[in-house]
Amino acid sequence: MNAGIRSRAMALFFVGAASGAVLLASPASAQKQGGSITVGLELDIPGFDPLKVGVFDTAAETAAAAIFDTLTYLDDKGEPQPKLALSWTHSDDFKTWTFKLRPGVKFQDGTPFNAEAVKENFDRQKDPANKCRCAFYISFIHDVQAPDELTLVYNLNDPQVNLPALSSIQSSNNVVQSPTAWKTKGDDYNRNPVGTGPYILKSWTAGDRMVLEKNPDYWNKGHPYLDRIVLKPLPDAQSRFASLQSGEADIIWDDEADADNIQKAQKDPRLTVHSYAGSGAAVAAINTKSAPLDDVRVRQALVMSIDRKKMSQALTNGLARPATNPYGDGSWVKCKDDGALPYDLEKAKALIKDYGKPVDFKMIVVASPRGRTVGQILQQFWKQAGADMEIEQIDQASFVPRAFMRQFQVIGWRIIDLADPDPQMYANFHTGSPVALANYSNPELDRLLEHARITADVAKRTDDYCAISRLINKEAIWFWTFQNTYYAISTAKLKGLPKIYGGVIDVSETWLE
Amino acid sequence: MLGFVARKLLYLVPVLLAVSLLTFLIASLLPGDLAYVILGDQATPEKVAALRHDMGLDQPVWWRYIGWLGQVLQGDFGRSFRTGQTVLQAVGERLPVSIELMLFAEIIGLAIGVPLAIACAVRSGSAFDRLMTGSAFGMLSVPTFLSAILLIYLFAVQLRWLPATGYVPFEEDPVANLRFFVLPAMTLALAEWPGIMRVLRSDMIATLQEDYIALAKAKGLKASRILFVHALKPSSLTLVTITGINIGRLIGGALIVETIFALPGIGRLLIGAIYTRDLVILQGVVLLVASGFVLMNFVVDMLYAVLDPRIRHGHA
Repeated sequence: MNAGIRSRAMALFFVGAASGAVLLASPASAQKQGGSITVGLELDIPGFDPLKVGVFDTAAETAAAAIFDTLTYLDDKGEPQPKLALSWTHSDDFKTWTFKLRPGVKFQDGTPFNAEAVKENFDRQKDPANKCRCAFYISFIHDVQAPDELTLVYNLNDPQVNLPALSSIQSSNNVVQSPTAWKTKGDDYNRNPVGTGPYILKSWTAGDRMVLEKNPDYWNKGHPYLDRIVLKPLPDAQSRFASLQSGEADIIWDDEADADNIQKAQKDPRLTVHSYAGSGAAVAAINTKSAPLDDVRVRQALVMSIDRKKMSQALTNGLARPATNPYGDGSWVKCKDDGALPYDLEKAKALIKDYGKPVDFKMIVVASPRGRTVGQILQQFWKQAGADMEIEQIDQASFVPRAFMRQFQVIGWRIIDLADPDPQMYANFHTGSPVALANYSNPELDRLLEHARITADVAKRTDDYCAISRLINKEAIWFWTFQNTYYAISTAKLKGLPKIYGGVIDVSETWLE
Repeated sequence: MLGFVARKLLYLVPVLLAVSLLTFLIASLLPGDLAYVILGDQATPEKVAALRHDMGLDQPVWWRYIGWLGQVLQGDFGRSFRTGQTVLQAVGERLPVSIELMLFAEIIGLAIGVPLAIACAVRSGSAFDRLMTGSAFGMLSVPTFLSAILLIYLFAVQLRWLPATGYVPFEEDPVANLRFFVLPAMTLALAEWPGIMRVLRSDMIATLQEDYIALAKAKGLKASRILFVHALKPSSLTLVTITGINIGRLIGGALIVETIFALPGIGRLLIGAIYTRDLVILQGVVLLVASGFVLMNFVVDMLYAVLDPRIRHGHA
């Protein structure tokens, strides 16, 4: 599952097409200046130096969204808009992207922001000597050049049509950090980050709180609105919600596993539930090289015996939205026919009977209450169809290696919310990719994936991706359980929270009413 | 007395060595290869092999243990691969929080347990005694995570008297600091006082039947003086033992309580290290905590000697 978080970053760097729209419109009268908020996050933030932490988790991204800037941001429609970049153009083959950068921007330590600074960020992560885990996600970028102060050129190994949208997420690859700061601070830089963003890190007590104060010299005049943001890790879901109710926190991270509290908050006029139905889904991969799952009838039977509505009810009081393809409601890919296999227990039984041999196999799940429950529910569904599944619980740290070494028969995974399906679809399904977990190779599937990544026309790409979905659903090499929905709950007074793209709660442009 | 202390100290050496060995073995035997954790998605077999070599993970366990122990003895507990913090820095930042929590919990536990124990001992067998020993048994069976949530619901959400989560350093704002500690310490103390109360009560009942108590009564001493001066001290030997052992339980409880109340203590550090396979932090913290526990029990041993001269003279 946490591979999803990682796969995200893969996408992040592609920066793309045109536009000179006016960035971050000037504050309307309704937006109040001043005040302070406390944000309750689910995780302790380990730090911000990509060489140390590799990849940011969503908690670190919430902080990164305030301390740093990215080249672009996504507007409410999911379109990339200029931030540190003002405009961009691409070559015909989508393998070269040129960005014009915003002039006059300075890092919080006074270092000028320019193309060379972005290039240094990239080179540091790419350098094999630095062994950064983050390098994996920029492997599609060959190099970055800074021909002049405000021009930035990306030369890609693989084409990417949506680079600007993908570079909007506040990941360790995308945020621009001050080269002077990491050079002078060394080991201490990790916990003393410096960016160009609207907030400056004032103090940080490990495990307790991070205090961010308004950057008085922020390039976007009149922004941000709040004077201070306090980020606190509140790891327990119940006490996190209690902190919001008692007013110690103004906004908290939440997820569907905490459905009771989300539904309670929806009825509370003092609270606002922010939810974003993103793209991607909670999924599972089936190892097609391992009997009895090497037989398509067995795989189809497994998929057809899953009653997602009942499962959603059991897991999340019905909050989770069933998924029939890997794209989800938040994606621009909309399929008339995604080829989803219907829930049909009788058909599933017939398929297993037709297979003729006993069907027993193992599924690995993360050793957590949630992972266990999901495993048990699937186990019951499959038992009804005549298949015996044994649950193997694996701790989080061993989970990803098991996936990479293909030591599983069925494994739970996640496709996370990204502005473009290509990075994850290509990685998950193209022959030879390290995360093509199903061990499945199909020339037609490869062709469609390759075509989709070099096609700019949205209608044609949609056709490709829908054909891909039909093929995967028919072969039942992966299946999708629920779409990604991201949650935050805040006091009703907090306004201006953008969509929770990629699960990142970006409070940097909020204000208190 | 000095010889007694020195002898006891000598016993500590093999105990601490065993602690360090166990700590190291547990961390080494945890599933999930560190090299895979660090490399994540780019864990190709070659890269894993190279990293394992760089980190010395391809050496035999005993060799790595000796190397680690050597560094620890020089005061170098290592540095987290995730945060870049040294173990001593990380522990130094968080230890005061955990110590304050445990101290606070122990004080509340004693404040509830000791008076109740005396009251019950005096009237042993009465309705009050039966009620209290019964409810002590009940409290002992309530898990910490449940009482924590109940306390938060009552005092933070409904009554709004106390904060649900959070922390302020004592030197920044002493009053706020104490307010943040009330609920977590209460939570731990709720599991603490029943043990204290039951142990002290039974010892006290035994003491109250001693001849010298009867003598004191016959001399016409005030009941309160008999109880607090003559009976409490000799009855508190087992209590002292329990208090020492309780520190171990409190450390365990702190893992849960610090997570629920979002206190930045050792427990949270440890849980974070376990989840992220930050073995350097994990080994270092467990070793330091275990050594602290061993030393505390050494202090408790010394306290016996103070409480009961027979022990320090070797007659007991």
